Amino acid sequence: MPAGLATYIIRRLLLLPLILLIVSFATFALGRYAPVDYVEIQAGPRAQPETIERIREERGLNDPVPVQYVRYMGNALTGDFGISTRYQGFPVADVILPRMWITMQYNAVVLVLTFSIGLPLGTWAALRRGTWQDPLSIGVFLFFASVPVLISIPLLQWLFSVKLGVLPSGGWSEAEYLGVELGIFSKQAVLPILALTLPGVAGIARYMRGQVMEVLDQDFVRTANAKGLKASTVVTRHVARNALLPIVTILGFELAALIGGSIFVETLLGIPGIGLLAFESIKSRDYDTIMAIVLIGSMVFVLAMLVIDIAYGFIDPRIRVEGRIS
Amino acid sequence: METRRLVLTLTGIAVVMIVVLGGLGAILLASGGGDDNGTTAGDGDEDGLGERVEGELRLFGPDPITLDPACASDAGSAEYIVEIFSGLVSFDLDLNLIPDIAEDLPEVSDDGTVYTFHLRSNVLFHDNSRPVTADDFKYSLERSLNPDTQSTVGEVYLDDLVGAAEFIAGNADEVSGIRVIDPQTLELTITEPSAVFVDKLTYPTAYVVDQREVGDATCFEGGGWTLTPNGTGPFKLEEWDLGRKIVLTANPRFHLEPAPALERVTFILSGGSSFVMYENDEIDITGIGSNNIESVRDPNSDLNADLHEGPSLNVFYIGFNTQEAPFDDADLRNALSLSIDRNFLAREFLLDLVVPAKGILPPGMDGYNEALPDIPFDPDAARDLLEKAGGAGVIDGATILTSGQGATPSDILQVVLAMWEQELGITVSIEQEDFGLFLRDIDDGKFQMFSLGWIADYPDPQNFLDIKLHSESANNEAGYSNPAVDALLDQADGEADEATRLELYQQAEELIVIDMPWAPLYHGKASYLVKPYVEGFVIPPFVIPNLRYVSISR
Repeated sequence: MPAGLATYIIRRLLLLPLILLIVSFATFALGRYAPVDYVEIQAGPRAQPETIERIREERGLNDPVPVQYVRYMGNALTGDFGISTRYQGFPVADVILPRMWITMQYNAVVLVLTFSIGLPLGTWAALRRGTWQDPLSIGVFLFFASVPVLISIPLLQWLFSVKLGVLPSGGWSEAEYLGVELGIFSKQAVLPILALTLPGVAGIARYMRGQVMEVLDQDFVRTANAKGLKASTVVTRHVARNALLPIVTILGFELAALIGGSIFVETLLGIPGIGLLAFESIKSRDYDTIMAIVLIGSMVFVLAMLVIDIAYGFIDPRIRVEGRIS
Repeated sequence: METRRLVLTLTGIAVVMIVVLGGLGAILLASGGGDDNGTTAGDGDEDGLGERVEGELRLFGPDPITLDPACASDAGSAEYIVEIFSGLVSFDLDLNLIPDIAEDLPEVSDDGTVYTFHLRSNVLFHDNSRPVTADDFKYSLERSLNPDTQSTVGEVYLDDLVGAAEFIAGNADEVSGIRVIDPQTLELTITEPSAVFVDKLTYPTAYVVDQREVGDATCFEGGGWTLTPNGTGPFKLEEWDLGRKIVLTANPRFHLEPAPALERVTFILSGGSSFVMYENDEIDITGIGSNNIESVRDPNSDLNADLHEGPSLNVFYIGFNTQEAPFDDADLRNALSLSIDRNFLAREFLLDLVVPAKGILPPGMDGYNEALPDIPFDPDAARDLLEKAGGAGVIDGATILTSGQGATPSDILQVVLAMWEQELGITVSIEQEDFGLFLRDIDDGKFQMFSLGWIADYPDPQNFLDIKLHSESANNEAGYSNPAVDALLDQADGEADEATRLELYQQAEELIVIDMPWAPLYHGKASYLVKPYVEGFVIPPFVIPNLRYVSISR
């Protein structure tokens, strides 16, 4: 590893705590300054205001927000991320980790499917430019990329679980395959994967098609063709590789989505992943859980971007990180 | 090879991310003390599609907030708690108060303040280690009241006990009104006679928990014990996979008849629509709402035979701020109430899923007044009353407060507003707030009108009239105050004769309907589908243990 690259990575990593500090304070303050706290929400209509006030006092919710923030960060630094109140009394880690695992599983499958189908499909569409398949494929991509999951999921549910009766309508469970027990082997995983892969593939294919067409017009492709290289060689070696470069950035965002989750998909299908948990936590003002989700999310995002930046240097010698930081 | 390099790089990125995420997971896991019992992946022996274990009932359940009896303030949590734990007394499906861990209903002293309970000697905790004693009850009741436990509901249900206030204030080490006479005898003393004190003991805050297991766990910290609760109820908690499922198994040593006939009950806590799950044979019972009721009512529907209905002890109403103009005027309130077509609302709009209200108390509750006249839909009378109250101008620009998320308030409210606009020519705007904020604002009297429901804790008129409409009750959001009503309610509360007591409540209700501090709209019903092989299942009108009556035959 060149010295410059190491310095670059270290510099970027040093920025991480600062980013987390800003994100955490913003999240913390937003939560605390919002009207109504978790004690009030959980107490319901029957509890006496004096009881609520007493519990609020005991739980330190009446302290100034900066004091509460310092206390939270102090605990977080010692590895104590607090207690969930939506799942009353359970440590945040116990609540979040199983959820994160579920979201990661199906999103990883979606990621692999999206890229492995989307990239070849997009390349194929670009090479068919000018034929009748071109407007057809564009139309199909545009359609699937535009249908929001809010619409596609009820339709998929109706088709596969009510009409055909082959898939459960939602939820999550595990199944064994080749001796490994994972959620993605169960029938419950099919609907979310389908619902996310369809627009994912369409989106990537559409993007890839544009990239490939741009590269096809470049002089070096014309040169390669003129040299008499086989068409397949031109496509794989020259066109696809150059078109892929910008796609790496998209990969970064998709990786961050691995644990960012999808609130809509999980809410509609009742998948107990991190997205549904985030939604519920916000509804019930589960301060510590919201904090942990946001912090993990930001950390993963920052790291994913860092990895992508470094990756660019490997793929394309023209983009050298040394050049960037000097 | 540049292409290979590209592929390697992409793979590398994926591997790095997985390592980073795994590392994060490990860090978090370590911080959780490594105790994630039951929160990890489930058995995996099912894929949830139409497969069932013999003697298993599959339900779609609410995702509970807590399984700690001292802390549960919501019905969704109580539904599980009443099956896993138990208390001195409970209700059966006919809403009769029955002894549970107590051998009989308590002996009450002549002055009506001292209750003596004799405990059954054969009630064991689930781990069969030891019988329940009066000491366990003393510990459990005091734990619910103890400020250190941080329960929001302990004192709501137990503040009648002598010494409770001193104990909560920290001026006493124990609640003097809870006395252990001997291991099988418990004596509870209350500050003044109350007809509903024993009813309140059916609520989970008075349930018994195992002191050795619970220790000093509060409602907000140390909830881990609720993953393996050592209860006394008809069912044991086999598995609680947070947010995913709850599995109960029968307690073979349960002390009441009938003992549970089911072997296990699986509650699925997540999933899409429970109606679709039912159609898809993933669950055995589902509630049903206005989206699906028409198709099910169709006699040709496959599901028609599965449809069941039962009463539900609740009331949905529009509350007025009786303390402030313009709604301090009973004429105005009556004008608004008379211009609501309750029959249309209940029968046409809500498709008979509810019953139009004519008073406060729901049908099926003791003291429900069959003879109370319907509140008529009388726009002419309403317009006259509105004129008397000062005309449409006094109410113009008024707002009604409601709770909820998203920008679409309930259809029902919109229908009522449309009726007011059509019949009285008044425009009322809707203000929607988050539930917590909504509760705070109506508690503080920061509203002109609000819409809300009230669900029974126990089947007694006191739970509706006294708690919601007595001028001194903390839950009287409407700020309603009528000395005649207060007097009747106070008299009823101390009345020993049941028939007289109920009559007093009926008199109070009649006065309330005249004053119209609320415009009661309707009472909900429980409408649900039950698979034909499930026997003995009913949705009780409020939370009572009902699963031990259920069996499966196929």
